[in-house]
Amino acid sequence: MNLHADFAAIVGARNTITEASELRTYECDGLLGFRVRPAIVVLPETTEQVAAVVRLARASGLPIVPRGAGTGLSGGALPIEGCLVLGLARMKQILALDLPNRRMRVQPGVINLDISKHLASHGYYYAPDPSSQSVCSIGGNVAENSGGAHCLKYGFTVNHAVGATIVTAEGDVIEIGAQAGEPDALGYDLMGVLVGSEGMLGIVTEVVIKILRRPQATRTVFATFPTTDEAGAAVSAIISDGIVPAAIEMMDKLAIEAIVAATRVDWPLDVGAALLMDVDGVRAEVDDTAEAAIEHLRTAGAIEIRAPRDDAERALMWQGRKSAFAAMGRISPNYYVQDGVIPRKEIAAVLREITRLTDAAGLRVANVFHAGDGNLHPLVLYDGRVEGEEARAEHVAGEILKTCIRYGGSITGEHGVGFDKAPYMSDLFSPEDLATMQLVRCSFDAASILNPNKVFPTPRLCGDRPGVYAPHALETAGTAGRG
Amino acid sequence: MTTIAGVEPRAVVEPRDRTELAAIIGELYAGDRAFAFVGGGTELELGNAPRALDTVVRTTGCNRVIDYAPEDQTITVEAGMTIATLRSVLAEHGQFFAIDVADAERSTVGGVIATNRYGRRRTRYGSIKDSIVGIEIVRPDGTVAHGGGKVVKNVAGFDIPKLMVGALGSLGAISAATFRVHPIDRECGAVVFRALDIAGVMQVSEAIVAAALVPTSIVAYDAADAYDCVVTFEGFARGVEAQVRSAAAIAEHLKVACAVLGASEREPYELRERSVRATAPWRVVIGAAPQALGKFLASRAADGARTVFYPFLGAAFVATDDLDASTISRWRSELRGGTVILHAMPLQARKTLDAWGPPPAAIAIMRRLKANFDPKGLCNPGRFVGDHP
Repeated sequence: MNLHADFAAIVGARNTITEASELRTYECDGLLGFRVRPAIVVLPETTEQVAAVVRLARASGLPIVPRGAGTGLSGGALPIEGCLVLGLARMKQILALDLPNRRMRVQPGVINLDISKHLASHGYYYAPDPSSQSVCSIGGNVAENSGGAHCLKYGFTVNHAVGATIVTAEGDVIEIGAQAGEPDALGYDLMGVLVGSEGMLGIVTEVVIKILRRPQATRTVFATFPTTDEAGAAVSAIISDGIVPAAIEMMDKLAIEAIVAATRVDWPLDVGAALLMDVDGVRAEVDDTAEAAIEHLRTAGAIEIRAPRDDAERALMWQGRKSAFAAMGRISPNYYVQDGVIPRKEIAAVLREITRLTDAAGLRVANVFHAGDGNLHPLVLYDGRVEGEEARAEHVAGEILKTCIRYGGSITGEHGVGFDKAPYMSDLFSPEDLATMQLVRCSFDAASILNPNKVFPTPRLCGDRPGVYAPHALETAGTAGRG
Repeated sequence: MTTIAGVEPRAVVEPRDRTELAAIIGELYAGDRAFAFVGGGTELELGNAPRALDTVVRTTGCNRVIDYAPEDQTITVEAGMTIATLRSVLAEHGQFFAIDVADAERSTVGGVIATNRYGRRRTRYGSIKDSIVGIEIVRPDGTVAHGGGKVVKNVAGFDIPKLMVGALGSLGAISAATFRVHPIDRECGAVVFRALDIAGVMQVSEAIVAAALVPTSIVAYDAADAYDCVVTFEGFARGVEAQVRSAAAIAEHLKVACAVLGASEREPYELRERSVRATAPWRVVIGAAPQALGKFLASRAADGARTVFYPFLGAAFVATDDLDASTISRWRSELRGGTVILHAMPLQARKTLDAWGPPPAAIAIMRRLKANFDPKGLCNPGRFVGDHP
């Protein structure tokens, strides 16, 4: 077959890429440590084109790796040798807005933040807000079950993406989940399982999302502390008091330093930790809860507590927090982004453990995290030019995950397992647990052609027994390493 | 009570713990015996009659707290624990489980998950799908497996907990679950909007949303030939008071009769809902987009049925002594895209009427799931969606 011509017949030559130089863009996603060149990239614009591409790829024996905006941090969209990358970024239409039933129907390439922008004049918004929301797409959010700062109160993608049109591994187009605003769909909750399945169960070509009325009021509070211990105690006190902030984010000294260097925020540098908190809801309640929360900040030992003067300053504060990962470039040539979860009450103990691990490796770590739900993002800083530092950073990042597991947490709160964390899945789940997930996979994709080497610790086909991690062919061949 | 949709099992067993539960299920499967699971037995009429039923496995012996972390607002319990016990455990730490049930002394955690039970608080707190974060199941062949975890935020692996919600035990038994719990609201206030037609109920619900109020529930109860719509607010005192005032202002603006309800005045309404959802030979739960459901209810002729309607969520509960297959079919075609599920019907109707209605578009995937989890077809066969003879 002529790969280019055959797929160009479906999506057009302009949407078919086989040129080596153009393929380079698609060699990796936000996980930069791995690069694999796909055989072909196709960029369909309609559901029918996606279905035709899947059928042809299947007939041609090409594994399919779906891809959204390519911002994923776990390598969920990392190609495998000889695969077809199915890029959905050109499907970016808003298809329908149903305000009375509070639903919206969008194509997968629509950018997360554009949804809330589209809804702003109606007084509505879309709640899940990953830090990458200005560049990540809703299809990728569905694949990874993306979270964000405000999911503490409002939930993750799975609580908001309630229905979809999908192209199955056989190339059939079907609707799953609730399509029009009904509370539940009939039968098994396929949409609940599809969200967060990392492109392994079907290709989403339309998504039905819940939209929310903007709250009457939002109050933002910024507070600094001598160390992360006091900041952690403040978070616990607020939540134990029955207050549910919309978001409560913690940054440690190094993270503050990086954010101040990279953005226009005027946060003090001589503190050990900072909290950024939103309280929202009905106006009268917001005032009460914000005052109560501020009292807890003070009691816990806050050095300074301040509120933004206006919406512009509030936006700036949040921009500071959301640009934390990228800001690391200001204080370190390289950094390794980690994503782990621990029970909230263990924050102080785990942070000490992380410090101990990085100190022992002779490295520095910056911590930014969603403190309200125990979702840590330690950023392990290293200099790739220094012999051995990268390997040490990678080792520390792995040890951090094992610490999270030991404290009863998880290896990922919102970035997904993808390719990067697949080896850790057998530390978290038993062979029976993984076999059960495999039963689900085989019910959707018996031929294992959708994103085949992700999530599971050992690349497997339907019918195989699960086992412990075996190195990917690339690693054994020495063409790639982990991290 | 162990008769499931009119079918009597040959035997009933009640394992004492989760190890025994898994062993019994494994033995039944190996012995080719058809089985089903029962918690408190409050929803045994839901779904179609099982095609075969040798043994009913009762989960109520598995009723322990496995792990409760009040600071993290999560709890892991065995599935046979009653909602009443769960509530009392949580209340000691000022927390609560946000799913309403009709009979907390009988309803179990596993039953709530398997039937996707919900009540009026779903308006604010969502359904069990929004609370569940981890699960332990016993697959039909006796294999014990876990999904999710013990922390509220976790995207590792496929979401097995969600798959088990509403699956009516057709993919295996739920033996334990972890979910997020909530702080008990300090104050409660409620307002009733009186003598509304369905259009009026929709108007009230939309005005509450437009005002960005945060109600715990919005429920319309049929009263004579009109509806009373009760809107509840919970939280801190000032917020509750302000929202009650806003609701009264909405009533004034809409020129609707309205009164503030005290706790004792709310109770009769809650009892009425319980009765509509738990008694009567025909009990139907309708789910549809709020607008579509409102139109459907408005167009329905006065038929003597009692109705409770959630205008914000798009759910209605209908109870009546007298209904027939052709009416149900008509409702289903009028509400295409919605669901019309029979939670109870007389035995003689079961032969001709599918409790779930026509299977959904994705039925092929659902059938493969069932076949992969239960290759011998022994686990609650025939009772779930797409399996009516």
